[in-house]
Amino acid sequence: MKSLFFTQPFFQKNGKSVALFFLVAIVFWFIFLVIIPQLYMLDLSFRANIPPLERGGPKDFYTLEHYRHFIFGSKTSADAYNFVDLGVFGRTILVSIFVTIANLAFCYPIAFYIAKIATPSTARLLIVSLIIPFWINELLRSFALRILFANEGVINNVLTGIGILDQGILFITYDVGLYTGLIYAYILLMMFPLYNAIESLDINQVEAAKDLGSSTFRTHWRVVIPHAKPGIVSGCTMVFMLTVGALATPVVLSSPNTLWFPQLIYQWFNLNDNWSRGSAYSIILLIVSVVFVLTMMRIFKVRIGEIIR
Amino acid sequence: MSAGVELKDVSVTFGSFFAAKNVNVKIEGGEFFSFLGPSGCGKTTLLRAISGFQDPSKGQVLIDNKDMLGIGPNKRPTSLIFQNLALFPLMTVAENIAFSLEVRGVSKSERMKRAGELLELIALEGQGDKKVHQLSGGQKQRVAIARALAVEPKVLLLDEPLSALDLKLRQRMRTELREIQKRVNITFIYITHDQGEALTMSDRIAVMNEGELEQIGPCDEVYNNPLTPFVATFVGENNPLFGNIIDVNNGEAKIETSDGNFISSIDKSTKLNVGDEAISFVRPESLFIIKNDNKFQNKFRAKIENIEFEGNVKNFYASLNSGSKIKFSVANAIDTSEIEINSQIELGFDINKSIILPKGALATE
Amino acid sequence: MRSSYAMNFLMGIYILVFFTYLFGPLIIMSFTAFNSAEFPAITPWECFSFRWFNEGKIAYDGQHLAGLLTDWRLHDGLISSLIIGAGVVCLSVPIGMAAAIVLTQVKSQLRDIYYSISIMPVLFPGVIIGISTVVLWDRIAGLGGGGFISDVGRNGIFLTILAQTCFISTYCFLIFVARLQRFDQTQEEAALDLGASQTQVFFKILIPYLAPAIASAAVIAFLASFENYNTTVFSILSDQTLTTVIASKVRLGISPALSALALTIIALTVIAAVTYEILRRRQERKYLESQEEFVKEKAASSRVNKDYKAGFKVPKGIVALILLVIIGSYVATQIVKNDLYGNSCIEAADTLKKSKFLDQLQTLESNQLSDEDLQGGSLGGNQDYGDIFGDPTLFQDFGGFD
Repeated sequence: MKSLFFTQPFFQKNGKSVALFFLVAIVFWFIFLVIIPQLYMLDLSFRANIPPLERGGPKDFYTLEHYRHFIFGSKTSADAYNFVDLGVFGRTILVSIFVTIANLAFCYPIAFYIAKIATPSTARLLIVSLIIPFWINELLRSFALRILFANEGVINNVLTGIGILDQGILFITYDVGLYTGLIYAYILLMMFPLYNAIESLDINQVEAAKDLGSSTFRTHWRVVIPHAKPGIVSGCTMVFMLTVGALATPVVLSSPNTLWFPQLIYQWFNLNDNWSRGSAYSIILLIVSVVFVLTMMRIFKVRIGEIIR
Repeated sequence: MSAGVELKDVSVTFGSFFAAKNVNVKIEGGEFFSFLGPSGCGKTTLLRAISGFQDPSKGQVLIDNKDMLGIGPNKRPTSLIFQNLALFPLMTVAENIAFSLEVRGVSKSERMKRAGELLELIALEGQGDKKVHQLSGGQKQRVAIARALAVEPKVLLLDEPLSALDLKLRQRMRTELREIQKRVNITFIYITHDQGEALTMSDRIAVMNEGELEQIGPCDEVYNNPLTPFVATFVGENNPLFGNIIDVNNGEAKIETSDGNFISSIDKSTKLNVGDEAISFVRPESLFIIKNDNKFQNKFRAKIENIEFEGNVKNFYASLNSGSKIKFSVANAIDTSEIEINSQIELGFDINKSIILPKGALATE
Repeated sequence: MRSSYAMNFLMGIYILVFFTYLFGPLIIMSFTAFNSAEFPAITPWECFSFRWFNEGKIAYDGQHLAGLLTDWRLHDGLISSLIIGAGVVCLSVPIGMAAAIVLTQVKSQLRDIYYSISIMPVLFPGVIIGISTVVLWDRIAGLGGGGFISDVGRNGIFLTILAQTCFISTYCFLIFVARLQRFDQTQEEAALDLGASQTQVFFKILIPYLAPAIASAAVIAFLASFENYNTTVFSILSDQTLTTVIASKVRLGISPALSALALTIIALTVIAAVTYEILRRRQERKYLESQEEFVKEKAASSRVNKDYKAGFKVPKGIVALILLVIIGSYVATQIVKNDLYGNSCIEAADTLKKSKFLDQLQTLESNQLSDEDLQGGSLGGNQDYGDIFGDPTLFQDFGGFD
């Protein structure tokens, strides 16, 4: 085993006790914390929902029932498909894509400015100012937005107070609060990959393009963006994944009629106590995440080592 | 206490590449021995084989007549001074020096005492509490040596330790290293590509090229009697005169070249027959300008192409009738002002100041 | 020339807008922490008070909204968060370190695969990691019968530590990999050559080199664990961490106590960051001084001095900003004190609200209502709590009123 995997014999290189520690730590992590729980959850998603006592008994069998439920709904419903759950799922994905693109659009100018135009001390100040809001928990940040957007919130109070409106706008009900919150939540994860990628671009290239007569738009489209591609892909991937799997912000900012997909999982788990179904929905979420990441990697030809924290 | 090192038929291969090939060397205890050769010739590989970081693919490494197979670098009686010194940046100078004692469980007071002694040896008393980055290049060198000597190894291995230093410092360190070696009486095995270094410091040198040993011997012997064209041109400078043998007789041979026929000495181990292609080598300092006397058996005409003043010598670059280029040097003390570029001169050299070798690869610049 | 002016101007406006968007909500929220009104608001401004930091409010309508210092749920959650954070650090830092060191020893063909597997946990949505851990250990607990295993397998703190370790180890792994990349391998060889055993090399050479990485990995691990929600909310079962307490409070009832909490956290992090920056500069100064003793050329040392001075501009800015904030708020406090501060103000406001409430009760009982009244105009309605009663998951972690 040793010379198959390692450049030098493992136990010899590290000393026996240290090597043992390495081995235990890594096996514990990979196998026990990462792989086995996922495999078990996958297994559970194919089982019927039965109370713990009846596990291993006759009622414990494999079934596709939960996945079927996701698409077709319960057997008693009149609808052809499970429009509620599918609707939530579809909305989650579409809105996440929208949020990702919006996030990218908002962050790009700032990232470019900090990376290329600002003086070093300004850039440092801006970067620090960017980081500070994100030291605060996502929940509290969403809470701050909720204060603003609530029906009796600050914005509505100001608008009605001044007299522009008679009645408050239902930001929360119309999901404006939620979308704003989602864009807000992961700005940092888009900003830093973008900043790092743009930073490595030689500003002379931009100036050369301008000098040759290229408009600002074209300069960015043909010179800056191709160079920043790894950063863009990294940022978009992280933001999409986190948005799709977001729980904190939707909990605070979504209205009861428009759930976010992870909230659905939460319901199956804690509300309905149906762990098998919750697992099945989790697997669906996991598949979406993985497929997205792999697709991004394939389309943009980017390697996996692009995650920065 | 010193020990001898022997390499018996040692080869080190990486895949199909021979880093070292069939090397046989016997180094005596207490010797200052150098491996000399260009980059990539395999000398670092041999050093690592002796110190234990590289197992030979074939052959044996013996230290003090004991086979070192299976014995790791931490158990061998050797100390290695790395090319980048590898001092521990997070420890003080004294801690660096005392490290080998620390890992052997020697008590702190003992260790610090020994470190103090060694600091004195390298003339850095009182600097024990400094951090490594606060030292100059030469001081770091000495700390590396002190660290290696702390546990009194039988063999000290040095991997081009002076290559990062400037000229004056290098010259001073050469002398210092030699003195330290004589004082502690340990076997020093030194590797370098600088033949000046090797020649001034060593008792014996081994010249290596592409993994193979070309010649071993005392410095003056290797310099004056090179056994291969590579050694002839790598150790010091040498002018090659290409031609064919027309006579071999009792320690001398006659070579026919397009610039004339020359007689040179020939080593008893060299096998040459009439008609073989050969090269006669003459060192720049062995070529003399012929004025009125006629004492040289070997002479030829040449045209000066370039003159170079190097301080203690003046170097002349000339071309022969055939087009071959040669270089000869004259001590600055001798007056050569009448020679200018394009001057036509006649040069001569002694039989026993030149050597004929079978044709072979020369050392490339 | 003109177009670049316009561009810069537009860019300036955009940056201003952007940062207003970033900071605005937080600043507004900070102000609401000081308004004694029950729903976080800036207008109408009831009274300036610190009540949300302290005792909260015992209501005329029977509902108690706790302030920071008196909220036992927050305290319990905080303690759990600290315990979990410590546990996660103890596990994920060694795991990350082991994984990073082994990465350097694996054959180059396998290196990519190994690295990808190590990165994987970060690509899983947090909820998945929480769920899978709970589900697995529930099974293990079930198999283990009664007793220790079953207790442990259903313990929220234990499960949360495991679940968080899963992906926080990856963060530590990345930190160690970065640090190891610049490690000089010849130091290990030198130590070996001097007689050290492999174990000694590890402890005397490698660990001291990794010490800064160990420290930053520990800090990052703790912070990541402390602020985590997605994973924790599933794995914590019947316990609570600070973040889950916050989440349930936010869903249950919006109170300015949360604004107070947020402001406290902001203040703590800003103080921590400034302290860290000051300490770092002090250490840098010490290092530069020791270098200066050694550097002989005057040109070099003057360059060093210049950088040193330039670096000082930023802390002056931050210090000035903080001073401004402190002075500003103090001045505001002084002004306000005369008008709207104090228990008297609060009592007055409360009596007013109480009487309003009693009036409402009377009106309800007398059945003289119009639809318009019920909708929320003068009666206040249920708009304060933003439709949360429509949320079926509302009373999940509730646990009752105080």
